[in-house]
Amino acid sequence: MKAGFNGAAAVILAAAILYAMQRTTPLYSDIISPVPVAGEQGERIDTRAFALGVGDVHLARIVKTERFGRTRTYTTSGVWVLLEAAAEASRESLTLTSAEWRGPSGVRYTLSQRFSTMPGMLPAERLEPGLPKPVLMAFEVPESELAGGTLLVAPSAFTPLGEEVQVAITQLALGNIRSAVTIRQTGGPMPWVLGAE
Amino acid sequence: MGLGGGVMAKAISQSERRRYWMSLAGLAIALPVAVLVHSWESIAAWRAVNEHDPVMVGREESESYAGAEWRLTTLSRLPSGSAEQVVVLAEFEARIEEPNLLTEGLCAVVLTDAEGRRWQPAFLIEPIVRKMHPEAADKPRCGGLAFRNAGKGGTASMAETFVVPATANGLALSVTVPSARPRYLLFR
Repeated sequence: MKAGFNGAAAVILAAAILYAMQRTTPLYSDIISPVPVAGEQGERIDTRAFALGVGDVHLARIVKTERFGRTRTYTTSGVWVLLEAAAEASRESLTLTSAEWRGPSGVRYTLSQRFSTMPGMLPAERLEPGLPKPVLMAFEVPESELAGGTLLVAPSAFTPLGEEVQVAITQLALGNIRSAVTIRQTGGPMPWVLGAE
Repeated sequence: MGLGGGVMAKAISQSERRRYWMSLAGLAIALPVAVLVHSWESIAAWRAVNEHDPVMVGREESESYAGAEWRLTTLSRLPSGSAEQVVVLAEFEARIEEPNLLTEGLCAVVLTDAEGRRWQPAFLIEPIVRKMHPEAADKPRCGGLAFRNAGKGGTASMAETFVVPATANGLALSVTVPSARPRYLLFR
């Protein structure tokens, strides 16, 4: 009698375990998703392929670019997030082509390509080992997705099991969204200068 | 329990017991062999495209590789305008014997240092090269065009530039022609 009870309990337990495994099976895209390397704004984050450090983050309603004596204006229905950072290749020259802003709700916003030809924009900069370079990133994000945001950066968006830096943005002047920020091209080692209005 | 186990053990004959352990040991061999056989092609393909067989070439020496006789003529550091970084100019030539082997695909040129770091060539010729070595700035980059223009028996002169930290030492130039993989040239 007791043996029969034990047998039934074992079958139920096995069924429960199998059901739980079935419900929690990861998708193939989860299995090969990037390996996160977490860090915070203001610190250097090293991966096997590259290193990244995020400095100042600026918020603006309008971005203006000044180049070759011409000014262009870029409006947005959300808020412009401009991130100033430094990046360096670790072992081999590379370009970081994938950057995303992940809002507190988990929604991801990819890098804006609207003024991607400005010097210093992340996807246009070839990074070399041993030579840290200043890089600039721009996102258009709804105001509700700003606080508690995370910056995700990887060499490319589709590298299975590649490394992805996840930078928690801790210093965000939410009460100080500028009406306009101007990106000016310089000729020097720092390729741009930001001016706020 | 102990009694029942003893009876069971006696019921299983010695030879059956041996067969059981032989099978288990066989599995330990068969499983890795099966994995290896299945992935052998992939491993071979991976090895074939990975450069792991260097052909060392010293300064002032020439070496036969991928249907041509290769020689490094210049590997010099030029100032870049910043104390942290230098421009490295590499000039090399190939006397072509087998044009067919060379013109398939692009050749890959990489500058390496003693720490194993790898720099790819700059997209554009650095201005300092045009100023100090204008003849090098006009040379073609390593690739099918340079080889086709030289033709069989001719010599293709090529140049590449790199931007590296001033502290990098033990610089070496690696040149790979796709048809000759996994062998690659390493100019020391």
